[in-house]
Amino acid sequence: MRIVLSMIGSRLIQLVVMVLVLSFVTFLLMKITPGDPIRAILKVDDVITTTAEEEKLREEYGFDQPILIQYSRWLLGIVQFDLGESLIANKPVLDMIMGRLPASIALATGGLVVLFLISVPLGVLGAVYEGRWPDYISRWFALVGASIPRFWLGLLLIYFFSLKLNLLPVMGNGTLAHFILPSITLGVAMAPLYIRLLRERLISTLQSSYIEAAKARGLRKERILIFHALRGSLVPLITMFGLSIGSLLGGITVIEILFSWPGMGELIVQGVMQRDYPVIQGYILIVGFLVVITNLIVDLLYLVINPQIKQGKEVV
Amino acid sequence: MREPVISIQNLLIESSIGQKTILNKVNLEVAKGEIVGLIGESGSGKSITARVLLGLLPSGMNVRGQIFFQNENLLTMSAKEHRKLLGKEIGVIFQDYRGSFTPFIKIGKQMAETIRTHHVVSKKEAKNISLQVLEEMGLDSKRVYSSYPFQLSGGQVQRAAIAIALALKPSLLICDEVTTALDVMSGEKVLDYIDHIRKETGCAVLMITHDLMQAYKRTDHIYVMHQGKIVEEGDPEQIRCYHQHPYTKKLCSCLLSLPGENNLVVNERVNSI
Repeated sequence: MRIVLSMIGSRLIQLVVMVLVLSFVTFLLMKITPGDPIRAILKVDDVITTTAEEEKLREEYGFDQPILIQYSRWLLGIVQFDLGESLIANKPVLDMIMGRLPASIALATGGLVVLFLISVPLGVLGAVYEGRWPDYISRWFALVGASIPRFWLGLLLIYFFSLKLNLLPVMGNGTLAHFILPSITLGVAMAPLYIRLLRERLISTLQSSYIEAAKARGLRKERILIFHALRGSLVPLITMFGLSIGSLLGGITVIEILFSWPGMGELIVQGVMQRDYPVIQGYILIVGFLVVITNLIVDLLYLVINPQIKQGKEVV
Repeated sequence: MREPVISIQNLLIESSIGQKTILNKVNLEVAKGEIVGLIGESGSGKSITARVLLGLLPSGMNVRGQIFFQNENLLTMSAKEHRKLLGKEIGVIFQDYRGSFTPFIKIGKQMAETIRTHHVVSKKEAKNISLQVLEEMGLDSKRVYSSYPFQLSGGQVQRAAIAIALALKPSLLICDEVTTALDVMSGEKVLDYIDHIRKETGCAVLMITHDLMQAYKRTDHIYVMHQGKIVEEGDPEQIRCYHQHPYTKKLCSCLLSLPGENNLVVNERVNSI
C-alpha cells in the first residue's frame, strides 16, 4: 500500500512540475512564433482597422503586459479551474474542451481495442510459430503497417470501404458505423510496434526456465501461454503504451481531421491557426494531465502484473 | 524381480543442423524403487537425456530409438498423451530451482494448478494436497503456499520445487543436478529427502549429476556418459574398483586424489601417538 501511495504522490508532483514547464514553454513559443491573435480577431486581412483599435484590444486582453505577468495570470486562473476564454469563439475554454474530449476519448478507446485485437493475436502467432508461415504473416503485417502513414491508410480505407464497397460512411459521427474506420486507422497505425515488441518478448519468455518447468509439470499449452508466458511478456508492452500515449493523442488529431471527427483535434488545429492562446494552453494542459494519469495507471498495472516490483526487485 | 519403470533403448539424437550426433545409441534402465545415477562431464549429453524424457527437446533434433515408460513408447505416443504423464507420472527437479516456478504467480497457485491439471479435484482439495506435501517437506506450509517464489530463501524454494514434483506421487523422478546450486549441507538434506521419498513411495529415481562421489554414495546403479555415449555401467562398487573405460578411469582418478578413509585412519593414529 505504501508503495502505491508513494507512486501516486510522486506522479502528482510530476504533474505539477510538468504542467508548469510545459505551459511556460508553449507560452513562450507562441509569443515568439509569427502570427497575432489580435489581428485574427479583428480580421485584419478582410477589414480595414487602425493601429489604435489593435492597441486597445491588445490592452483589453492584457497582451501588452510582460510575458511573465500574462503567464502568472493564466496560472492563477488554472488554480481556480478557469482555463480562460477563447479569443475567437468567446466561450470558456474548459467548456469547449470538455465538449470535445469525450469524442476524442471514444476514438482513442476504439483505436486501443483495434490495437489489442490486432497486436495480441499477431504477436502471439509470430512467437508461437516462430519461423513458420503465421510468423511471416505477422512480420509482413508489422512491416507494411509501419511503412504506411496514418493519413494515407485512412484515405485508403475510405476509398475501399466507403467509396468502392459503400459499406461505411466517409466521415462524421453519430452511429457505430462512423466509429469503425477512424478506430481501425488508429489501431492499425499503432499495431506494428506492439506486434514486434510482443513477438520478441514472448519468444524470449517462452525459452525461459519457468516455462520449461511449467511444461514439465504437464500444464496445457494454452494455459502456459496465457497465464505464464503472456503475462510475463506484458511489462514492456505496457511501458511502451505509457511512453507512446503522447504520440497516440497527437496521432488522433490527424485522424480526427481526416474523418471530420468532432474531437479535440479540430479544435486545436483551429486554435493554432488563429493563435487562440487560451485554447492552445488549455489543450496542452489537458493532454499533459491525460499523459500523467495514464502513466500512473501504467505504474499501478506493473504492480498487478509483476508483484516483484512491489518489493523493489528487478523485473524478470 | 526388477520392474523397469523407464527403459531407454538405442536412443540416438542428431542435430539436423550439421548432422551432429548428440546421443549415440544410449541404453539405460531405471527400475521401481531404484536410484540410478547418470554421470558425466558438462556437455556429455546427460541433460539432453532428461529433456527427451520430458519432451522438451529443442526443435531441429532427429530422435531415433525407443523409450519405454511403463511399457509405453514415449517417442511414438502423441504429444497430448506425453504431456499427461508429465507432472503426474514423471516428476522432475531442476538444477535452477528459482526457475522451477513462474516468478509472478504464488507457489500455492502453481501447485494447485498442477494438481488440477491432472486430477479432477476442487480448488480446496488441491490446496489441501499442496499444503500436505509442503508440510511433509518440513516447510511452513501456509506461508509458502501463499508466497511468491522471490519471497522465499533458496533452500525453501528448492524444497517447494521438490514438493511440486512429488505432489502427484510420480513413478519416475528425474533429478537434474539438483545439488549444484546448493551448499553442501542443504544439498545433503535434499538428497536425504529424495532417498526417503524413494523408500516411502517406491518411485524410481534418475539422478543426473557430474559429482561422482555423490553417485557412489546415493545410487544403486551408475551409468557413465561421455560424448553422448554410455561408456560404462555397473553398481557403484564396480564402477569405482573395476572400471575399464579410460574416461571412467580418469573420473575415478580425480576422486582418488582426495584423501581416502585409510589415509585418515593413519593420520588419526599418528595424532594419537
